[in-house]
Amino acid sequence: MAEISFPLPDLGEGLIEATVLDWLVSPGDQVERNQPLVELETSKSALELPSPQAGKVIRIHGAPGETINVGEPLVVFEVPDNTAGIVGTVPKDDAPKRRVRLSAVLDED
Amino acid sequence: MYESTTATLEARAATENQSVKLSMQQALNRALDEILSNDPKTVVFGEDCGRLGGVFRITDGLQAKHGEPRVFDTPLAESGILGMSVGLAMAGFHPIPEVQFDGFAYPAINQIVCQIARMNYRSRGTLPMPITLRVPSFGGIRAPEHHGESLEALFAHVPGLKVVSPSDPHDAYHLLKHAASRPDPVIFMEPKSRYWQKGDVDAADGGTLTGARVVRPGRHLTLVAWGAMVARCLQVAELAAEDGIDVEVLDLRWLKPIDAEALATSVGKTRRAVVVHEAPLTSGLGAEVAQLITQSCFDTLKAPVDRVTGFDVPYPSGDLEDEYIPNIDRILLGIQRVLEYRRG
Amino acid sequence: MSGRHTEEHIHTVEGTDPHLFVEVHEPAEGTDAGLRPVLLLHGFSSSTKLNWGDTGWISTLKSAGRRVITVDLPGHGQSSSPEDLDSYSPSRIRADLLQIVADAGARPVRAGDPTSGLDVIGYSLGSRLAWEFGATQPELVHRLVLGGPNKEDPLASFDLAAAQRYLADGTPIEDESTAGLLKMAQLLPSNDLFALLSLIEAIKGEPFDPAEAVPHMPMLLVAGDKDERAITMPELASIASHAGGMVEQLLVPGRNHSNAVTSRVFKDAAVAFLGV
Repeated sequence: MAEISFPLPDLGEGLIEATVLDWLVSPGDQVERNQPLVELETSKSALELPSPQAGKVIRIHGAPGETINVGEPLVVFEVPDNTAGIVGTVPKDDAPKRRVRLSAVLDED
Repeated sequence: MYESTTATLEARAATENQSVKLSMQQALNRALDEILSNDPKTVVFGEDCGRLGGVFRITDGLQAKHGEPRVFDTPLAESGILGMSVGLAMAGFHPIPEVQFDGFAYPAINQIVCQIARMNYRSRGTLPMPITLRVPSFGGIRAPEHHGESLEALFAHVPGLKVVSPSDPHDAYHLLKHAASRPDPVIFMEPKSRYWQKGDVDAADGGTLTGARVVRPGRHLTLVAWGAMVARCLQVAELAAEDGIDVEVLDLRWLKPIDAEALATSVGKTRRAVVVHEAPLTSGLGAEVAQLITQSCFDTLKAPVDRVTGFDVPYPSGDLEDEYIPNIDRILLGIQRVLEYRRG
Repeated sequence: MSGRHTEEHIHTVEGTDPHLFVEVHEPAEGTDAGLRPVLLLHGFSSSTKLNWGDTGWISTLKSAGRRVITVDLPGHGQSSSPEDLDSYSPSRIRADLLQIVADAGARPVRAGDPTSGLDVIGYSLGSRLAWEFGATQPELVHRLVLGGPNKEDPLASFDLAAAQRYLADGTPIEDESTAGLLKMAQLLPSNDLFALLSLIEAIKGEPFDPAEAVPHMPMLLVAGDKDERAITMPELASIASHAGGMVEQLLVPGRNHSNAVTSRVFKDAAVAFLGV
């Protein structure tokens, strides 16, 4: 078994910290990828953080009301050895976004 | 985190010869499994390829099924992985080594360029190198430095190497089997950002496996791309259609040798072309493609061939990827430049 | 269906396309509860993403087998920011919402048909819109869940002139509520301040009067017990129950106006209340 620590991710908008509202999982829980882990509040909004991966939660950091800085440990998972060590993230298949419009007079010669 | 590919394989065994939905990762895994089953001379190896099943799970379950002598882990030494491939090939094996990430190919350049690429030539055809080097390639997965590169021009420039990059699961399955069956060394560039998207794989009918493939026919302009950029160009083509521009997307697939005839046919019809690649602009493969098009279509081209590429900077780490890899708007702007061009 | 009104769904309202960003989220695979769709209305200076996406509401409702319709209000999220003031008036927004839910397949309530009708969940300003939408569309709306609701719209007392002075030359804003709301709006760089001020101006033209039109369908009112913007929730509840509607109230312990929205207690109560 291996441990994977998941730090508080960059929440965008220049936010550097978040306050724990409520944990939705406890140490010992087996969680699935994308299962909500914790409710957090930033200076701009409240949000639910989905689990980045499947695994068994072995430690959580920050009691309700406590503030955690981006990059500090938030939760530690125990995972089978053979799923540790994956580099990079699975890209999201977002719908394409565009700003550029094409304009052309096509002479069909 | 990953679906068990071995389970998929077993489930699919009953439905042989039918089109099935697989991710590229599953399709490559299945192709390797079949190659190992059908060719006892094949050996598969690399960092974490054995017990772990590869960081991208391409070799998942293969060691358990085919045994450690044929599917095994290597030390963290790419020069060793490729040097051993040379020896194995000389001894009559058909090695399918993996460098875990494209940026890790650099330490093995000597073995690839000075040995693998020219052994057949050097030995006057007595020591062919039937090696298929799998290289998880390009960016798009927000990995650290050295874990995303675009090395096709480097490899394509070396006489004696063939270079291919599939863009979807069907091609990945068939091109890998095809590459492994060839007597020449093939650099097999897997677009790692496309590993997880599913597509139809018809195991029975691979179609033509040499040369380029028109993945979307169009009348007004040809987008030439390969690897992960093919999917992006297909998105761009759909958006261009909203504006009344009918874009053909040509998946080059083979980057050495390049299918000059397919370029001539496509651009001969559309009379406009934009080449899209992730690699930096200068001396990138886009220049080669542009020249081949110009050679065959000079008289009928409506505009100079344009290129939309990465910038002339080191391939950045994950956080800067979105700024570097040609995005939809940059490709649309490239199309607009070509559409606007007027002679004189 | 997602994005701006898709090809087959271009309908103008009062002669113009509102260019609102609409998405329809289908139930999670294999969970379809066979119930009417749920419309989500976000709060001022928020968006579908912030109010319902990041907070886990959309996934919670989808997992509960519900079909969810989301819309970004004008000047918010991925919707456009029209130049004309009329586009921001609550009555115009309600008309747009009616067209949107009709396009998304919502149909009037028919007795014995659980797929008919529409459930609406609002938060803050979205609750005001939901209240009025329920009151004016009794044939369509089946149940309401109003989060962080208020008898008066805090935006109606917003000091627009002071805000404009502050934005022009930095003159401090005296009114605390105005200063707080503007600060909230400025925190998000994606916000279009011009559009948000237009919305406030339009709301001042049509201030919230819950007694003027009262929804009669069952409703659940939810607020954090520390939500100072929702202290009038019991008064709203009594207006609705005097009019004959079934009203439930729920206080979420320890939560305020900005963080009650993520609460599991809130979500679970809403899913249960609408799951009939």
